[in-house]
Amino acid sequence: MSVADTAPRPRKSNTWWLIAPGAIWMALFLVAPIALIVYVSFWTQTTFKIEPTLTLTSWKTFFGSDTYISSLFTTLRIWLIVLVTTFVIGYPTALFVGLFIKNKTLSTVLLVICVIPFWTSFLIRVLAWRPMLGKEGAINIILQKAGIISQPIEALLFTELSVIIGMTQIYVVFMVGPIAFMLGRIDPNIIEAARDLGAGFGRIFRKIIFPLSLPGVVVGAIFVSVMVLGEFATAAALSGRKVNLLGNIIVTQVGSLKWALASVVGVILTIVMGLVIAGFLRIVDLKREL
Amino acid sequence: MESRVLKPVLAVYVVLFILFLYGPFFVLGILSFQQGPEGGPQFPIIEWSTYWYRHIFGLTPPSRVAPLPLGESLFRSLTLAFMTMVTSTVLGVMSAQAFRKKFTGSGLVFYLIVLGMMVPGVLTGLGTSLLANNILGIERHWWSTAFVTHVVYTFPFAFLVMLAILNRFDGSVEEAAWSLGVSPWKTFRKVTFPLIFPGVLSAMLFAFTLSYDEFSRTLFASGRDQTLPLAIYGTFSVEIHPNVFAFGVLTTVFSFALLSVYAILMSLSVRRAKKIAMQEDIV
Repeated sequence: MSVADTAPRPRKSNTWWLIAPGAIWMALFLVAPIALIVYVSFWTQTTFKIEPTLTLTSWKTFFGSDTYISSLFTTLRIWLIVLVTTFVIGYPTALFVGLFIKNKTLSTVLLVICVIPFWTSFLIRVLAWRPMLGKEGAINIILQKAGIISQPIEALLFTELSVIIGMTQIYVVFMVGPIAFMLGRIDPNIIEAARDLGAGFGRIFRKIIFPLSLPGVVVGAIFVSVMVLGEFATAAALSGRKVNLLGNIIVTQVGSLKWALASVVGVILTIVMGLVIAGFLRIVDLKREL
Repeated sequence: MESRVLKPVLAVYVVLFILFLYGPFFVLGILSFQQGPEGGPQFPIIEWSTYWYRHIFGLTPPSRVAPLPLGESLFRSLTLAFMTMVTSTVLGVMSAQAFRKKFTGSGLVFYLIVLGMMVPGVLTGLGTSLLANNILGIERHWWSTAFVTHVVYTFPFAFLVMLAILNRFDGSVEEAAWSLGVSPWKTFRKVTFPLIFPGVLSAMLFAFTLSYDEFSRTLFASGRDQTLPLAIYGTFSVEIHPNVFAFGVLTTVFSFALLSVYAILMSLSVRRAKKIAMQEDIV
């Protein structure tokens, strides 16, 4: 018998003791609550009470109401628009940081500059758009001083546009990061070779750069989608209660103790989110790419 | 060459992009120095003053603008963030340590943990409230229901950070300790932990800041007593005053102070690791 055999080394059963607390925590406080949302969505709701008698009433209420249906479509519309704006605004930045900056330190510094705003409270970041977009806000003042407009634009604040601008600014970084990461991994020799063979930048971009960055785009799109679909604070702060997302409906319903209807909206939100993520994962096989 | 044209164009674009990210903060910062209490949260600046900063600390005579309910909510937020930080870092280190060996169901457990950071706060918040309110019949508090949802959210971050650190970890030093008869727990304390400490520090920083700023989960799960983000949210519904802006500037400064402490601790621990490595070289 060698010394190593008698030595006290961690046994296999230790793995279970290490993983159990975390796994149990997640099962109890993540999986069970989500399952509960599905269950409670079928409960019977009376004015002040909720009882575990199963019924479809809350589901009928949701699909029978124009307000709730339109909030579903508003959520989908804002999600799509913000997805496009974060991609269109973020991609060139990612292109510069990931591909055009050869110096690793400089590109890290640029990424850190993009991340720094996240050290400010989320709500303060949202609120900061109010003095920016208002009728007497910074943008209107600058545009008027520059002589571009004579009357202040009132449509900037407390509209759907302000919600979209706010969300774009808050979430665009989640698009830039993954794309810049994928662009940074492109072998410069491939681009060099394509150039030597006479391809212009447009062609190189379409045939090489963009396809290789696609996994980054998908990861970014999943981040942005999950966050925008679950949003309600930006809409509450910047739309003046004109934009009602599914998240806002949940908040209001819980506020008036209508747990069953809030759960219905929660289930619908979960389904939408699942479909969106599954759809994105079909575009790229992330396990293979990353 | 296209890149000679494209690169400067993109550089200008990136500057505009950064302006887009930072613009609102500059405006917020400027307006926090608005005159008070008559000055509103918009331009022009009537007169530069520190009125709203004094207002936050209750140093101004009472006016029609109610002071922000900060004292207790700040205490609650810091306590909650500390509790969350300790719990999720411990869970993160344990789980990541378990993942160093392949075990049955490891794929499932991995997704189970990562799910916590992907599910939006509205859903985990709602679900936990349902659990407390309609199944268990208990009251919701920031230190109970909100705390568990915060850990659900921050534990995956701590786990991923520790996983990344332990992936690059050289197990042979542990083997050496074990073969010398050192117990696994003592090996972990004396060998493994000091080596992974920079990772632990990052995991703690993640957990603390995410919890300190967490809003949507807390809104549902915290019950009557407000945390700091909830106190700020409360000002949304009524008229806003520049005191919220001044407060925004202060929280940003606080975040940077925290970040600097982290950077200092990090560079110290890296320097110490280098020193030890050099001593080993000499020996």
